[in-house]
Amino acid sequence: MVGEAVLAVAFAVAGAVALAIPLVRERLSSMKTGVALLALVLALSVVGVVIGQNLPPSAYVERFGKVGAAVITGSGLASVFRSWYFLFAVWALTLSVISCSFRRILRLARGRGPKLAALGSLVTHLSLVVVLVGGVLTATVGFRRADSHYLRAGDTTEVPEGGFALRVDEARTEFADSGMISEYVSVVTVIEDGRESAPRRIEVNHPLTVNGVGVYQYEMLPSPDSVEAVLLGVILVSPDEGGEPFELEVPYREQTAIPGTDLTVKALEFYSDFTYDIETGTAGLASIWHDNPAVLVQVSASGEALFERWLFAGMKGHGDDTGLPCRLFFLDYGPDFQNGLTRFEYSRQPGTPVLFAGLAALSIGLCAVFWTRIGRREHT
Amino acid sequence: MNGPDSPFFWGAFACYLAGTVLASAYAGLRRPLLRRSVFALTAAGFVLNTVALVVRSSASGHLPVTNLYEYLTFFAWAIVAGFLLLWRREGLSLLTVFAAPVAFAMMVVASLFPARVEQQLMPALQSYWLTIHVTLAVLGEAAFAVAFVAAVLYLIAGGRAGAGRSVGSAVGVAPAGGADGAGTRERGLGDPATYDEITYKAIGVGFPLFTIGALFAGAVWAQRAWGTPWSWDPKETSSLVVWLVYAIYLHARLVRGWRGRGASVLSIVGFALTFVTILGSRILGGLHSYG
Repeated sequence: MVGEAVLAVAFAVAGAVALAIPLVRERLSSMKTGVALLALVLALSVVGVVIGQNLPPSAYVERFGKVGAAVITGSGLASVFRSWYFLFAVWALTLSVISCSFRRILRLARGRGPKLAALGSLVTHLSLVVVLVGGVLTATVGFRRADSHYLRAGDTTEVPEGGFALRVDEARTEFADSGMISEYVSVVTVIEDGRESAPRRIEVNHPLTVNGVGVYQYEMLPSPDSVEAVLLGVILVSPDEGGEPFELEVPYREQTAIPGTDLTVKALEFYSDFTYDIETGTAGLASIWHDNPAVLVQVSASGEALFERWLFAGMKGHGDDTGLPCRLFFLDYGPDFQNGLTRFEYSRQPGTPVLFAGLAALSIGLCAVFWTRIGRREHT
Repeated sequence: MNGPDSPFFWGAFACYLAGTVLASAYAGLRRPLLRRSVFALTAAGFVLNTVALVVRSSASGHLPVTNLYEYLTFFAWAIVAGFLLLWRREGLSLLTVFAAPVAFAMMVVASLFPARVEQQLMPALQSYWLTIHVTLAVLGEAAFAVAFVAAVLYLIAGGRAGAGRSVGSAVGVAPAGGADGAGTRERGLGDPATYDEITYKAIGVGFPLFTIGALFAGAVWAQRAWGTPWSWDPKETSSLVVWLVYAIYLHARLVRGWRGRGASVLSIVGFALTFVTILGSRILGGLHSYG
C-alpha cells in the first residue's frame, strides 16, 4: 500500500512538472496524442482479456507453450493492469485529458461554439480525471480481502482494519418453493470495545458496513458434520431372502422404522469428508468439502441398540456379520443448509464516492455532448 | 426449448427469417412492394418479440435478461426498435430492411442457449440494478448495431467520403477518398454520406447509454455485490475495450470531423467487439458467468 501511495505521488508530481512545460502540454493536448494513448490502453486491455489475468503459470504453459508463457509472465502481461507500462499509459492519457481540458476551458471562456455541447465536452473530459483519481485513491489506501476462515454459528472473527469483530449467530441457505436457492444469509453480531450490537443480516447484494469497512457475503457451504436426512438402501435378507431392495429416508438423529422388520434405524453422526485417527480411535473431518461422506448408523430393536457402523456413500454396505435381517447402504443425503459455513469478504474503497461522482459527471457530460447534437444535421 | 414464451419467440423467429429472405430480394430488385412486405414482417416479428418478452417477464417475475437466451431475445427486440424508428426517414430504404436480418441473426444465436424460465433468481442477480444495468447496456448496444449496419452499407455503397473532410491521416488511419454519393444513389445503394451520418448519430445515441448502463450502473452494482466497483473481470474489461473503440471514433469525429472508410471500419470493429463482449462470459468466464 505504501509503495502504491509513493508511486501515485510520484506520478502526480511528474505530471504537474510535465504539464508546466508548454511544448509537452501542447503535444499532450493534440487529438493525435489522445487517440494514440486511447489506442494503447485499448490494445493492452485486449491483450489482458485474451491471455487471461493472474492465472497460475501452468495455465499459461498449457495455453501458449513454454516460450509463450515465459514471455507473458516475464513481460508482466500476466498482470498487465498492474504493469508499469499500463499505468504509464493511463497516466499519460490522464495528462492528455487534463491539458485538453485546459484548452476547452479557455475556448469556453471566449464563448466559442455551442455552449451546452462545449460545457458537456469539458465535463466529460474532467470527469475522466475524477474517475481515475477515485481509482487511484482506492488502489492506494483501500483494501479488499476474503476471510481465510469458514465460520459457523458461534464463531467469532476479527475484521481486518475495521477495529471490530463479528460473531456469527446463523449461517444458512434459504430456498424458494421451486427448490432453487433464494438467499445466502449470515446473521451476525458486531462486537466493538466489548459492546455487542443487535443481530444484523448480511446477504448477497446487502453488505454490512461498519466503520467504513464493508462485510460481504462471499461464500456459503452446507454443514460438513450434520445432515438434514440420509437416504439408505435396504435389502431384507430374512425371512424372505433376496427381497427387492428399497429406499428409506432417515431424518438425522431420529429413530425411523425399517419396513418389513421390527427394527429401527438412526443416523447418529455424519462427516462430509470422513477420516479416522487410528491412535485415538476416533472418526472426524478431513476437510469441509464433501469428498468422502460417511454416516454412522445405529440399528435398534425394542429400544435396544443391536448394531452401530459407519456407512460410506457409494460403497457396499456393512458386512454380513451383523446377524441383522436386512443390509443397509448409504445412497445419498440431504445436506444441512441451516447450520452452514459462511465466509466473508472485507472491503474498504475510499475512492468509490469519487469514482461514482466522476462516472455520474461523465454520463451527464456525454448526454450533453451527443444528445444535443443528434437532432441537428452536421455542418461540415 | 421450453417456456411459455416459446410460441411467440418462434413466431418472431419465423417473421424475421421471412423478412430476411425478402430483404435479400429487395436488395437485388428494389421493388417497393418487397420493402412494404419486409416492413410488415419486421413489424409482425417485433410485436411477437414484444409479446414473448412480456410473457416471459410475467412468468418469471423479473425482466428477461438473466441469461444469454433472454439477453439476445431482448437485444433483437431493441435492434428492431432502433431500425423501426428510422423506417420513414428519407434515403434509408435499404438500411432499414436490414432490421430483419440482424434480428434474425440474434434470434438464431439465442435459440442455441437454454430457454428454461427461472422464477427464482440466484442471489447475486436479486437487485434492481440488474434492470438498470442490463436494459441501458442493451439499448446502447442496439444503437451500435444500427451503426454497424450503416457502416457496412457505407462501404458497400462505395462510400469513400461524405461531404466532410478526411482526417484519417491525422489519427493514423488510411484517409477517405473524395465525395462520390451520386453514383451509388443512381445504383440505388443510397447516399454514403447519409449512412456515415447515421453511423455517427447511432453511436452518439448508444455511447452515453452504454456508459451509463454498462459502466456506471455496472460499477454501482458491483460495489454492492462484490465490494468493488471494478475488478478487471473479463466482461468488465471487454466492455471497457468497446467503450474505448467508440471513444476513439467519437473523439476523432468531433474534434476533426473524421469520416470515411476508416471510421466505418472502426464502427464495424466496435460492434464485433460488442458481440464478443455479450458472449464473453461464455468464452472467457469470470464473475459475469450467469448463463
